[in-house]
Formats: sequence, C-alpha cells, structure tokens
Amino acid sequence: MGGIAAPEPQSSRKKGKKKRKRIGFNLDMTPMVDVAFLLLTFFMLTTTFAKPNTMEVNLPSKDMTEVKVAESNVLTIRVTEGDKAYWNIGFDEPKPFELYDKSGEKPTISNAFREILKTESEKIRQRVGEDVMAIVLKFDKKAQYRNLVDVLDELNILRFRRFSIADYTEQDAEEIKKVSSIQPAQPVQP
Amino acid sequence: MARIKKARRTGIKQDMTPMVDVAFLLLTFFMLTTQFRPPELTPVNLPSATAERKLPDKDIMTVTVGAKGDVYLGVDAQPTRDRIFNNYIARRLGEAGMGAAAVEDSARKFRLAEGFFIGDGSDMQRLATNLETMIIQARLAEPRLRPVIKADVSTDYQYIKLIMDIFRKTNMPTFNLITSLEALPKSQN
Repeated sequence: MGGIAAPEPQSSRKKGKKKRKRIGFNLDMTPMVDVAFLLLTFFMLTTTFAKPNTMEVNLPSKDMTEVKVAESNVLTIRVTEGDKAYWNIGFDEPKPFELYDKSGEKPTISNAFREILKTESEKIRQRVGEDVMAIVLKFDKKAQYRNLVDVLDELNILRFRRFSIADYTEQDAEEIKKVSSIQPAQPVQP
Repeated sequence: MARIKKARRTGIKQDMTPMVDVAFLLLTFFMLTTQFRPPELTPVNLPSATAERKLPDKDIMTVTVGAKGDVYLGVDAQPTRDRIFNNYIARRLGEAGMGAAAVEDSARKFRLAEGFFIGDGSDMQRLATNLETMIIQARLAEPRLRPVIKADVSTDYQYIKLIMDIFRKTNMPTFNLITSLEALPKSQN
C-alpha cells in the first residue's frame, strides 16, 4: 500500500542474509490424544450388545375353560402347504385366498388378507353391535413356520387380539380337499 | 515500493508417537477382550416381524429348530447347564455304560455348549418324549426359565406345533418367538 513497509526483524537490511529463518510449527498433540482416550473409555463403559427381537405368544393354559363363541362370529383361517390359505365364517365353506403378495423382493402379507379381516370384522360389528370377532388359526403340519409368524404379526399390527391357534384335524383336511378339487385356483373376492 | 509479501510456507513437523501409542493400546484392548461367538447349532434364517419386544436378559431356555426339523435345546446360564447335566444326563450316560472320565469330559463340553441335539423328523415320537423330558429337567434345574423358540423360516409347522404343545403341557403357556426386526408397512389406518 504505502510506500513504507514496516521494518521486519529479518528485513533485507542485513547484508548478505537473504534467506529467511524458518519457524517450525509445533503443534501440541496432547489434547487430541486425551479426547481419543475419553471417547474410547466412554464407549467401553456404555456399549451394550444388540438384543434379538422377539414376538410374545400367550397360549391359553391347559386348565383354562373354553370360551363359548357364536359360530357366526368366528373367522377361521386355514393355512396349508405351499402358502395356500382359506377362510370362512362359522361353518361355511372355506374360500381360498392369497396369503402373500409375491410381487416384491420379499413375499409380504397380501392386501386380500387384510381386506378379509377388516371386512368380516366390520360385518360382525354391524350385526352384533360390538367388536366380537374371534379368529381361529389352523396350520397344516406342512405349512411353514414363516406362515405362523407372518399371520400373528399381521393380527398384531391390525390390533386383532381375540384369536387362538387350533389343531388342524382330519376334518379340516377333508374340507380343504373338497374345496380345492372343485375350485382349483379362483380366489373369491370377499 | 510495496514489497509483495509472499505467503510463507512453513513445514509442520509433528511427533507421531502418541498416535501410534493409541493405536497399539486399542489393538491390545481388543486382542484381550474379544470373545468368539460359540459355533451355531444349526443355520437359522429368522422370520421377520414388526414385533419389538426384546429378548429377556437371563434365564432363557431356547428351543432351536433348523430348516430341516432338527431340534436343539439350550439354556443360557452355565450353572443351570451343570445342574441339568448332573441331575439327569450324567445318570443316563452312566446307565448307558459310559466311564467316569468320559462323563466328566461330556460334562465339560455340555457346560460350554449353547445347546444340544434332541431329535429330528426321522422319529417324531422319540423327539416328542425326549423334548418333553429335557424341558421338564431344565425347569427343575431352574424354575425361572423362560421358554423361547428360535426357528427357521421354512421349518415345517408340525415341529412348532409339537414344541408349543409341550410348552402348554409343562405349564409354560407364555413364550417368545425370536424374529428379526421389520419395518411397519407404510399404509396404516
């Protein structure tokens, strides 16, 4: 700027001394190491292992008496081998439906299943006046564990609390055989 | 004349000793405290569910079922395993003619094993009786045990039904199914 530069200690006034003295930059690393140790100690003391998630199942104990439910308020869901599912109210004929929606990368519970649950529960509620639908789940020996978990999970999400798991008897197998021989693959729209 | 001040480049010299020290300390810490996970009893592909209930911390009795229907029973605490072994298994091994040293050896292995093989689909009757006996023995060894089922996605339902029936028979109607976490579906009402 101005014509006069502030005199510097190493100005070139000195004769012959052209080289500037190099000041080394000494950074004290102690605080950084302290921070590192503090972080380490903090995580050593507070880390907990991730616990596996679980789904709780409450079966009725063996000395519980049976609850009487009117059959018209009972929705029976039967699942057999190969993810085949059938539903019916009371003693009606079982109707097949698609349990899984296989379009995505992982099969998820289909909307058809949710629709059946909601529609039938709504019908019963309108008829009886309160929400009394009971769901009976029957799984074939050869159905997969995955079916049980997915159905229970779905009932939990939709907040259906009144359900029970029953045995899949010879009678059930008979009824399903009757239905699957007459109507091979025609899911009835509920 | 204005003197153009050139930006002075200074070399930065750092002593790297503390950083190396930290690296070695971390290495030593993990070398001394890492424990290997016990080998898996059988590969289990867990089903996914939106349930978020965490597994209880202790007193867990796990029934593991592989995809092919092989069933294993295990408890989480070593003292409980010792009690099960001494109360029941040692006697059965002795009756089967195993020598004392071999029984000792089995005891040691049993104490460290995450679970032991009960049976599989080839003999469902025997699987049912063995499983029921061992579950009763486990409950006798530790009454606070909580039953848990860890099964593969493609396990046949008949094994799960068998296990649930035994749980109900032995008066344990409340149990947990281990799942992997899944996000809630987007459309909810």
